[in-house]
Amino acid sequence: MRVEEPQLDLTATPASTGVVVHRAWQKHALTFLMVFGPGLIVMEADNDAGAVSTYMQAGGQYGLHLLWLLLVLLPICYFVQEMVARLGIATGKGHAAMIYERFGKWWGHFSLIDLLAVNFLTLITEFAAISLALSALGVSPYVSVPVSALGLTLMVVTGSYLRWERTVIALCLIDLTWFGLAYVVHPNWAAVAHNTMVPTLPPGGMSSGLVFLVIAIVGTTIAPWQLFFQQSCVAEKRLRFSDLKWARLDTLIGATFTVCVAGAMMLVGNYGYQHGIAFQDPAQFAGAILPTAGHFARNGILLLMVNAAVLGTTAISLASAWAYGEVRGWEHSLHKKLWEAPGFYATYIACVGAAAAIVLIPHLPLQLVIISVQVFAGLILPSAIIFLQLLLNDHALLGDRWVNRPWNNWINWTIIVVLFALSLLLAAQVMLPKLFA
Amino acid sequence: MTCMQNSCPPEYFRVVHPLEDATEQKCISEGLGQIAMTPSVRLSLKILRGYLTLMTAMLLYHVLDLAGALRHFKL
Repeated sequence: MRVEEPQLDLTATPASTGVVVHRAWQKHALTFLMVFGPGLIVMEADNDAGAVSTYMQAGGQYGLHLLWLLLVLLPICYFVQEMVARLGIATGKGHAAMIYERFGKWWGHFSLIDLLAVNFLTLITEFAAISLALSALGVSPYVSVPVSALGLTLMVVTGSYLRWERTVIALCLIDLTWFGLAYVVHPNWAAVAHNTMVPTLPPGGMSSGLVFLVIAIVGTTIAPWQLFFQQSCVAEKRLRFSDLKWARLDTLIGATFTVCVAGAMMLVGNYGYQHGIAFQDPAQFAGAILPTAGHFARNGILLLMVNAAVLGTTAISLASAWAYGEVRGWEHSLHKKLWEAPGFYATYIACVGAAAAIVLIPHLPLQLVIISVQVFAGLILPSAIIFLQLLLNDHALLGDRWVNRPWNNWINWTIIVVLFALSLLLAAQVMLPKLFA
Repeated sequence: MTCMQNSCPPEYFRVVHPLEDATEQKCISEGLGQIAMTPSVRLSLKILRGYLTLMTAMLLYHVLDLAGALRHFKL
């Protein structure tokens, strides 16, 4: 067993760095603000274009009846991502690197290839959403998609992690507009409160459509790339052992914010349920509600759909670039200039560029892409989460201080069993649809 | 506003950004090799292999079904 007690080399900290404050609360507040970021970003970026579509469909098909599910998912999101943050702080390494080191090359290759595949396919759906939403606003896909890809590349090649982080936090805060949209569609707030706190079934009762929408919501809320992203992001930001409590708070705030935004999306979708507006995607819905809900609602949905896709794209591409860079032993940091970490940036740019290019292919079979995302996610999520749980019980690696407590393990194994079952059910529904006909 | 470490009165706190702070000694994984195969690790990996085998079988069935290769086996 080889565990080294964490030590801080105080002599290496220049005395001129940092900010001096006079009160303990100021110290805590400032430290939190400095640590804040990865938790919010990983959670809110998960409200990507696919999530917007899923949550709005949930509202459109079942009204307010699935709001309670978001409340159930809040602690699940938190507990899973807290483990990731803890592992990242304790080891200073990403999830892909840890799987390679502790479980060997076979599991390492499997996880990496699966992650890269599901991430790339998801990126195609993000660019498809950008194309769809901006087409509805009169912008040609041949303009919107390349410009978005260029903007997404410029966001990361500045050689500054903090610049990227601040930009992305600003994009996350734009999602506050969902609350404004939810307000203008005038839901019944008493019913909202009731359906959030009390699980209820829609008028048609339990159906296979309802079951699979529930599974889709769970799959949307807990995505495999999140595990890889947050651990790499925490390592990139060089969070210290003493930052763990603030990283937990960051994760909790991120989870709460994300669930609230998801709830707002359902409320907006509920407008369709109330007014009998059937829709296939949010862009179609936005166009349909223009006469009754006005331009703010229509343009707001379309622009927020673009924002969601941009957030998802930058986080997912970075999750891929970090994971691939870690495993290849390349420089893999946003602190580095383009020429200092060429492999890392090339991976990011290749992911973004190739996904954007594919979306511009006429008659792209997008439905096949979406199904493939679900299948690959069904493979990677349970395995990544099992590795996470085993690593968090690895005393040889983490010592007694950072491993899971018994209560932690009970909660996490319960979550894992549920995720296994739901992933299997979703995959079975996608691949063996006749079983559920 | 900055000050030297020793010149700050005790009620002053210096807050340093993680990116500007000294590098910490993290838990070291180099040289540890692969994770110890305890019964729980072995069981977890077995379950994972079973799950992945099942998923692969379903995927294979789906691909064969789409390709029309299973037409002769249907009732």
